[in-house]
Amino acid sequence: MLHSERRSLFRFLAIYLSSTFLLFSLATVIFYSFQKHQIVDKQNNMLQEEAVKIAESLRQIHQEFTEPLIYPYHKPFDSAIYNLDKEYIFGSFRPQHILWSREYYLKDKRLVYIHLLQPYYLGASYLVVAKDINSKPFDDLFKISIVFLLVAGFLFTLLGFFLGKLFVQPMKESMESMNRFIEDTTHEFNTPISTILTNIELLDAIYDCEGKEEMKRIEIASKTLSRLYEDLSYLKLNHNYHREIEELNMSKLLYERIEYFNTLIEAKNLKLVFEIEDDIILDIDKNDAIRMVDNLLSNAIKYNKKDGMLSVVLESGGLSIKDSGVGIKKEDIFLIQGRFQRANKSEGGFGIGLDIVGQVVKRYGFNFKIISIYKESTEVTIRW
Amino acid sequence: MVRVFLILIMFIGYLESEALAPNSINIEKNCIACHTKQKIPSELIYRRYLTKYSTHKTIRKVIFNYLKNPTKENSIMPKQFFLKFPPKEPIDMNDTALIKTIDTYLDYFDIKRKLVLP
Repeated sequence: MLHSERRSLFRFLAIYLSSTFLLFSLATVIFYSFQKHQIVDKQNNMLQEEAVKIAESLRQIHQEFTEPLIYPYHKPFDSAIYNLDKEYIFGSFRPQHILWSREYYLKDKRLVYIHLLQPYYLGASYLVVAKDINSKPFDDLFKISIVFLLVAGFLFTLLGFFLGKLFVQPMKESMESMNRFIEDTTHEFNTPISTILTNIELLDAIYDCEGKEEMKRIEIASKTLSRLYEDLSYLKLNHNYHREIEELNMSKLLYERIEYFNTLIEAKNLKLVFEIEDDIILDIDKNDAIRMVDNLLSNAIKYNKKDGMLSVVLESGGLSIKDSGVGIKKEDIFLIQGRFQRANKSEGGFGIGLDIVGQVVKRYGFNFKIISIYKESTEVTIRW
Repeated sequence: MVRVFLILIMFIGYLESEALAPNSINIEKNCIACHTKQKIPSELIYRRYLTKYSTHKTIRKVIFNYLKNPTKENSIMPKQFFLKFPPKEPIDMNDTALIKTIDTYLDYFDIKRKLVLP
């Protein structure tokens, strides 16, 4: 799966799943609170039924008035009677701080119901009935809600993944088609570019031809094409490419690559300043190192001013390449690190240079930093 | 020793009965005797008061008003009751003594003392 495809899929899934989760959470909360009220109502009804029974018993006791007056007490319900002034008369319990303004309330895990009596048998105007709340239905309801949320979440994740795949399919096909095109094109480029470069070297070595300047231009153009071919092949083969990590002499490699770009440096009449420490060794695949160095040097030359300055510093801790070129706007610095992104479209190229550098840096765990002053300079530093 | 203890208990009982005596005599003289004679149970009237007024505080006030001004309107009993038992004369007792007598009557029938848990 391509990086951009994976990113799009994750973004889609993030939006889809978060909105679905939010919706389901809301639905679960509404369902839970509704069911909770139902359970509380059911338990309140039991209190009400008990209150009616006690009221009837109080009427009978009042009418019979046979001593002793046996108070109607049925476990698990507790009850007490109060007179019109809310003074305690009698009961199986004596609750503290009764909320007289409420008909039902829950306090200290007890459901309390206040039943009004009229007429006042035994002088009782209020009957307070209480019972410990049965928490089992609430626990069961909570478990059901969580299970519902988990099952729904799992099913909708699966559905989201399937929909996401459908969603990114057109993009995937476009990317594959473009990659196929690049692969075919680069393959067709390889042979003629190699032929041109070999023949230029031969002409330069064997014949003392007059058109030296023209030959140089052909060489520069051919090398540019050759590097494009190398970069595109690298991107295409990056995933399947077998790397040979070796103790690479970066100092030597850097001299070689500067030599390779010498024609381009001369063509722009750049002042090359380099501080390269000897024998800097790095554990890296040679092709990865070449692609990283080539792209940094190529960018520094390509976006440099004529008669500008190119500084290359290599030390034990890292590599720094600085140019005196067009610079990059602050807001474009992050953007140009993506594939096919270029801040300045006046120069040629596909905009894959910094993407390749970024991939190498990420693969080896290096640090990559761009400091740029717009229309003045750009310094790219890689620390390892 | 046992004999001394029994004598002491009897003496305390006598003192208590003497202390309650004035109100008990008042009830006996002014209420119960007549009610018994006319076959109107006092406990029935107490229950009627309780059913209508709920608190002893209100009942005391209502009984007091009735005894001071015994009219059909002030009575707890239905109007038909007075066809057979005409209203009495206002009671001849000072207010403090009357209130004490009413309190004794209410305490005697107080359901708080009669109610028990099964």
